Amino acid sequence: MNRKWRQGNLKGGNGLIGQTRKSLLDLAIITASFFAVLPLFGINRTTDFIIFCIYVLGFNLLYGYMGRLSFGHMLYLGVGAYTITIFAEHISKNPFFALIASICAGALIGVIIGPIVIRTTGACFALINLAFNQVGYFLALVALSRWTGGEDGMSAYFNKIFLFDFGKKSVIFGFCLFSLLLTYFILKKLLSSPYGILIKSIKENEVRVKFLGYDTFRYKWITFVISTAISSFAGALSILNYGYVTPSFIDPTRAVEVIFATLIGGAGSLYGALIGGVAYMAISNYLASYLSRWEMFLGFALLIVVFRFRKGIWGYIQDRFTKQTERMMR
Amino acid sequence: MLNTIAYGLTIGGILYIISIGLSLTFGTMRIVNFAHGFIYTIGAYLLITTLPILRENFILAALATVLAVIPISYVIERFIIRKLYGVSIDYAIIATYAVVLIGVDLIKWIWGASPIPLSDPIGIDVTIFSVTIPLYRLIIIILSFVIFIALTIFFRKTMVGKIVVAALEDKDAVRSLGINVDKYFAYVFIIGSCLAALGGVLYAPITSVHPYMGMTVLLISFAVVLVGGLGNIKGTFVSAFVLGLIMAITGRFWGPAAETMVFIVMGIILIFKPIEA
Repeated sequence: MNRKWRQGNLKGGNGLIGQTRKSLLDLAIITASFFAVLPLFGINRTTDFIIFCIYVLGFNLLYGYMGRLSFGHMLYLGVGAYTITIFAEHISKNPFFALIASICAGALIGVIIGPIVIRTTGACFALINLAFNQVGYFLALVALSRWTGGEDGMSAYFNKIFLFDFGKKSVIFGFCLFSLLLTYFILKKLLSSPYGILIKSIKENEVRVKFLGYDTFRYKWITFVISTAISSFAGALSILNYGYVTPSFIDPTRAVEVIFATLIGGAGSLYGALIGGVAYMAISNYLASYLSRWEMFLGFALLIVVFRFRKGIWGYIQDRFTKQTERMMR
Repeated sequence: MLNTIAYGLTIGGILYIISIGLSLTFGTMRIVNFAHGFIYTIGAYLLITTLPILRENFILAALATVLAVIPISYVIERFIIRKLYGVSIDYAIIATYAVVLIGVDLIKWIWGASPIPLSDPIGIDVTIFSVTIPLYRLIIIILSFVIFIALTIFFRKTMVGKIVVAALEDKDAVRSLGINVDKYFAYVFIIGSCLAALGGVLYAPITSVHPYMGMTVLLISFAVVLVGGLGNIKGTFVSAFVLGLIMAITGRFWGPAAETMVFIVMGIILIFKPIEA
C-alpha cells in the first residue's frame, strides 16, 4: 500500500500538463484499440461493446473505487433506456435533448434513492439495490405498461440533426466512441482529484475518513449519483443503437453481467473496466453460439475469478509488468 | 378475506421453512448465500424424479429428496462456502451466484427448461371456521409450526444448537474455547439446505416447477431475513408470516404487485433500521 502511494505521488508530480498529455495518450490508445477490433467484431457489435463499456465504467466507479457492490444496477440502465424512449415518443424527437433528459433522469433517481441505500454497506447495499431494481422492473413491466409498452416494449425514432443521422451505424459508432472517451476523460480527471482519493479511502476505511473530518455521506451520495447518471447514459445510448426498448433493459436477473465484466477486467481501474466490458461481451456473444451450456461456463469462470484471479485481467497484466520492471531495475 | 389470510399463512409457512437456513448462514458466517435458491429448486426437481420411483408416495419422495440434498449441500459447503470465510462479502455473493448459474444450467440439461406441473398430492378440502382450504395447505402451516418448535428446542437443548447460538453472538469467543466453529457452521448449513429443499418440495405442487423458480423465492427470503434480523430465529418466524400475509392481501387486490409489495416493506424497514453486515 505504502509503495503504491509513493508511486502515485511520483506520477502525479509531473504537473497538470503532463497529466493531460497522459490522459490524451490514453484516449488515443482506447480509440485505436476499438478501431483495431472493428474488423474483428463488425460495426454493430463493436458499438454494443462500447456502450457496455460505458456502463461498466459507471458500475466500476461505485464497486471498484468506492467498494459498494450493487446487485441491482440494471435499474439505472433501464431508467435511461425508458426515459429516452418516452421522451422521444411524447416530447421531442431531438436525440440530444432526449439523451440529456435520460442522463438527468438517471442522476435524479440516484439523488432520490441515494440517501436510502448509501447508508448501508456490503450485503445490505447489494440487496436493497436489488429490491429497488425489482420494484423498477415491476413498474416497467406491469404498473406503467401504458407508457412503457409492458412486455412488448416500444420503438423509438429520432430526428436527424445536422450530420447526426442516428439511423446510420457509422454515425452511432462514432458518437458512442466519442461518449466513451468523454466518460473516460471525466472519470480520469475526477479520480485523480482529491475527491477520487477520498472515495478510495472510503473503500479502505470509512471510519478513519470520518475521523479526518470529512462528511463521507455526501461523497458517497455524489459518487452514487455519478454512477447512476453514467449507467443511464449507457442505457440511453443502447436505445439510440437498437431503436426499441424492452423490459430486459431493466431485468434484475441481468445485474450479474456488469459485475462479471468488472471482475474479469479488474475492479478499481478504468482500463480494467474497459477490458472487462469487451471480454465479457465477446464471451457472451460468441460463446453462446458455440457452446449451448454457456451459463455453466460463465459460472465456472466466475468461480475461477473469485478464487484464483481476483485482480482480473488488467490487474494480472499490471502485476507482470511491475515484476518485469523490477527485474530490469535489478 | 379469511380465505386470503389462510392463503397468506401457507405462503408464510413455506417462506419460514426456506428462510431459516438463509438466516442462519447469514447470521453465523456473514455470507449471502444465493446457492440457497438453487437448493430450493433442486428440491422440487428431485421430487419430480423420485415420485414415480416411489410409486407416487409423496411423503417417502419428500424424505428421499431431503436426504438426497445432504451430499449436494455438503459439496457446496466444502468447496465454495468454506473458502469464503472472512473474505469480503462481495466475493461471497458472486461465488454463490456462480453456483446458481452452474446449477440452473445443470437442471436445464437434465430436466429441460420447460415448466413441469405437479398436482396437489392430497386433493381433499377441509372447512375450519367457515373457511375452506385444501388439507395440503393446512398441513404446510402445521408443519412450519412444528419445524419452528423443533428448531427452538434444538437451539436451546442440544449441544450443537447451543454452540451455534453462542457463535451467532460472538464467533471468536466460541473459537477461543477450543471449539471448531466451522464444523458446526457446516452442520447448520446442511440443516438449512435440507429445509430449503423441503420448502421446494412443499411449494412444488402449488406452483409450477421451472429452472428459475428459486430466484424470486430467494429474493423474498432475503427480504424475510433482513426484516426478521440476521440469525434471529424467532424474528425470522414472525417476519415470514407477516410478509406472507402482506403478499396474500396485496395479491388479492392487485395480483402482479404481490412480490413488489414485499420489497417495498423491506425497503421501508431498512430505511428506519439499517443492518450493519
